[in-house]
Amino acid sequence: MSEGKTTDDVVESLHGVAQEMHDRMLKGTAPTMTLPVRTKKNIEFDKRLGVYKYGKKRTVRDATSLRSARQLLRALHIIEFIEEMIDAGKSSTLREMYYISEGWGHGKFGNQNESNNLAEDLEIVTKCMREDFKLRPEEDGSRMIGNMTINERNRRGEWMRINARDDVGDSGYGVPYNVESEKLELVEHDVDFIMAIETGGMFDRLVENGFDEDFRAGLLHLKGQPARSTRRILKRMNEEWNLPIVVFLDGDPWSFRIFASIAYGAIKTAHISEYLATPSATYLGITADDILAYDLPSDDLSNKDIEALKAELTDPRFADGWWQQQIKMMLDTGKKAEQQSLAKYGLDYVTDTYLPEKLADLGLS
Amino acid sequence: MQQASISEFFEKNKHFLGFDTLQRSIITAVKESVDNSLDACEEARYLPTIEIEIHKVPGKSDELLMISQDNGPGIPPDAITRVFGSLLFGSRFHTIRQTRGQQGIGITGVVMYSQLTTGKHTHVISKVEKEATAVHLNIGLDTKKNKAISSNRKREHWFNAEGELIPHGVRVEARMKAKYQRGKQSVYQYLRMTSIVNPHASISFRVFDEGGAVIDGGDWPRVTDVLPTPVKEIRPHPHGLEIGSLQRFLRESDERKMTSFLRRNFSGVSMRAARDILARAEIDEARRPTTVKAEEAQGLLAAFRQVRIMPPPTDCLSPIEDLLIKKGLSKAIDSRFVSTITRSPTVASGNPFQVEVGLIFGIDMPADGPVEVLRFANRVPLMYQQGGCLLTKAIESVDWKKYGLDHPGGRGIPKGPAAILIHLASTNVQFTSEAKEAVSDNEEVLGEFRLALQEVGRGLRSHKRKSKQREKAKEKFELVNVILPAISEKVSAILGREEPPLAPVISNIMNAVFLEETTEWDPAEKVTRCSFQMFNYTPRPRQYTLLATWPEREGIEIVDESREGKREAKGLRKWKMDTLPPGENVTVSFALDGLTKGDWTEFEVFFRGAGDIIGATKLDEKLLEEIRREEEAGIERQDLLSTEGDEEFSTGELDEVAPDADGTSAVVQSPDEESRADGGADAETAQREASEVTGQSNLNDWRVGE
Repeated sequence: MSEGKTTDDVVESLHGVAQEMHDRMLKGTAPTMTLPVRTKKNIEFDKRLGVYKYGKKRTVRDATSLRSARQLLRALHIIEFIEEMIDAGKSSTLREMYYISEGWGHGKFGNQNESNNLAEDLEIVTKCMREDFKLRPEEDGSRMIGNMTINERNRRGEWMRINARDDVGDSGYGVPYNVESEKLELVEHDVDFIMAIETGGMFDRLVENGFDEDFRAGLLHLKGQPARSTRRILKRMNEEWNLPIVVFLDGDPWSFRIFASIAYGAIKTAHISEYLATPSATYLGITADDILAYDLPSDDLSNKDIEALKAELTDPRFADGWWQQQIKMMLDTGKKAEQQSLAKYGLDYVTDTYLPEKLADLGLS
Repeated sequence: MQQASISEFFEKNKHFLGFDTLQRSIITAVKESVDNSLDACEEARYLPTIEIEIHKVPGKSDELLMISQDNGPGIPPDAITRVFGSLLFGSRFHTIRQTRGQQGIGITGVVMYSQLTTGKHTHVISKVEKEATAVHLNIGLDTKKNKAISSNRKREHWFNAEGELIPHGVRVEARMKAKYQRGKQSVYQYLRMTSIVNPHASISFRVFDEGGAVIDGGDWPRVTDVLPTPVKEIRPHPHGLEIGSLQRFLRESDERKMTSFLRRNFSGVSMRAARDILARAEIDEARRPTTVKAEEAQGLLAAFRQVRIMPPPTDCLSPIEDLLIKKGLSKAIDSRFVSTITRSPTVASGNPFQVEVGLIFGIDMPADGPVEVLRFANRVPLMYQQGGCLLTKAIESVDWKKYGLDHPGGRGIPKGPAAILIHLASTNVQFTSEAKEAVSDNEEVLGEFRLALQEVGRGLRSHKRKSKQREKAKEKFELVNVILPAISEKVSAILGREEPPLAPVISNIMNAVFLEETTEWDPAEKVTRCSFQMFNYTPRPRQYTLLATWPEREGIEIVDESREGKREAKGLRKWKMDTLPPGENVTVSFALDGLTKGDWTEFEVFFRGAGDIIGATKLDEKLLEEIRREEEAGIERQDLLSTEGDEEFSTGELDEVAPDADGTSAVVQSPDEESRADGGADAETAQREASEVTGQSNLNDWRVGE
């Protein structure tokens, strides 16, 4: 995806990182790498883009401790590795890079989380995306079902036309990790809105009940915390097809965070929120008041849940009144509920009663 | 005593005899044999080698054959039945001394227990050196006449497994109802603990199943050839006396007059004191002791308290000595750090006592469980009743958090991968019960233990601080010597530029002077190699005088010194270093001759000069002055004594009183004259050991900032 960044641009911005270190050493001081603070304290609402981005707080990683010095050395190894891939016209998964780092001597990583995080650091510092770096995630994307037609370029470089209702089986159309225009084109659709669903069980329930046809909906399975490509394709469908996005999740603090990452931007990827976030997405349910209104079977909040909710109260993305009310209500009742708890009233209840009622509130049914 | 009454006697007393459970019976049996062997070897000045075997008897459940064999002096043939059958044999009570202290009735209990539970007699082989053959016999008890009976007595040559004649020793084979098990209370643990406090003993242990296969065992070889100082018998001190004992002394006295009774039977009583006591007790000086009545004895006891009496001598004690505890602990537990202290002997209610503690920070020990507590009274492991014991309470009373051990709530046994050894040596260890497994409360003893524990605690804290500092320095070194050059190389390769000069960057990152010291045993040259390297990672040149601690004493010298140093004070060597430019480093090395492996494993470096050195301590000049003054005083005293022509003293260290960080003093006693008189070469070695200890406590004084 790159907003017209050439490989030269990418190499140049990576060299910028090395340049900072070299300059510092020439001055006789410890090499450094400057990057934005990546916590909720440093995300700000960008009015122009309508999403949350990193603010102005910067942290300097300098080589005065062994830990930081190792990070700098690792960053340099990654930079060198990316340059080599660009030159050779290759790409690798983040996992492959982690294994390749085994040969980097003092620059090798302790675990893949460290290498993933450092790749992200580089994205942020250089304002490039990992696709520019020829790095791919191994996470699989989501799946989609509904009357939507897509062009996907296959391995042979040919465009394939796929209708996500007629050309797929029950598991739907698998969204690839790269959903940029060079790989995937949104051709046409005959739906009124897209519904993003947290759990596979609920996705399958709606498919089996024929919800997509009855309600002219495109269904998308998020698979928990959605991958970048999932969020990206939601945003493209929202912008290019002008379709409303409704999000149907469990009713717990973690679902709130999933929604925030879809609608406002995730803290970890706030540097590219404008590519990934869909500000107009709507939280359909399960809301804190749904648990009471529909008398859903619920579980008590765990200590971790309560901590998460309290953290959300001070998260700028949840500053709005409706969210504050939802969070406080959940804290008050001390209850959470799963999507599938709706089955208490029968298998068809969700498609016959719950969703129609909720969609009607939004004017979508 | 009838058969029934012997069984009754056993039944009634089996708890304090140590035979109350099948598991404990085998421990007691081994303990009695081993105690006898150690005592006999110690008296005869032999280095003990003790072999213990336990065999499960085929076809019988819960029946074991215990075999113990030593290389001791053997028992004279006419004394064998007395040793193994001394059921009601009176002990000497007019003198007291520090002994291992048998449990109940000693080895006789094993003979009795074996006979009562299996009907078998105990087989004994004893060989004394001056006789050609060994005595082989079976010993049992005649339950009607209440005395030991021997059978199958014969004289034969005694061979070992290799077919060689055994010159001297004792072998005991006893078959009894008992159960072998492992754990905190086991034969294994008893022997392991025994080996720790008897580093001069070699102990091996094997357990065989019914089929003869070895199923458990251990080997604890000796780590020193130094025998414990022989204990002297002393007369009881009036302040430790109870009414019952006093009455018995009076009753059994041979003296005709009370004055001589008091002077001959008790320590510290002069003629003047004796007269004073008798006057206060209103007893005629010429009274015959046997005629003194119970009320008068009470009056005598009261008078003891009112009269000034010299404290009892303390040279009757035989501590293990801290260096030997260190060796004993190190052989049983792999360690990162060991600190041991032997406090000087002192007196509580008329009884001389001395406390010793050791703290070992181990490898492969559980970090989250309580530390292992190893309790000893007069070198005997205490394995039961840990909770109610004074030794345990002493450990619990110290604030271990201060010294780097986890101590939740400041209560109970601290936690961590460590073991604490705690030893009470006394002529009269007061136990809470006849079972002799827990030492009873005593404020003075507790106080001494607390001081000793705090001292080893300070050692641990300083060790931990040092390791932490070393860890930090190591990281910094890796940073500037490995990672930074790698960064520089990579950056320059990526940008296609020249590498920047790193020296200024390094100075900037480190901005400190570092010092690393190492100590290594050189097995080829048999010397301890010490060295330290100083790095100037600051932007300016630095000049320092460096000082290192070493165990200065008779027989140890500095060899192979890479740069000539000077003696600054006892145990402190000084090197005036050249100015060290930025980015440079310098190494000083020296070797110590006269030590053995493991004697010296860590030394401290002090400095004089501006700024700080990471890895060294700024020298406290006031403290140095104090040390010097004391040293001078010590030399004066030594001169004084040698002019008296007492050659015994001229070779050894005097009692050294070194002030401790917390104001207490650690006095290290020279071995008494008597030990030298009958110890010969052994005493000389003991002398060296003792002075090594002196060096040790001297070094403690160099610890700054405690």
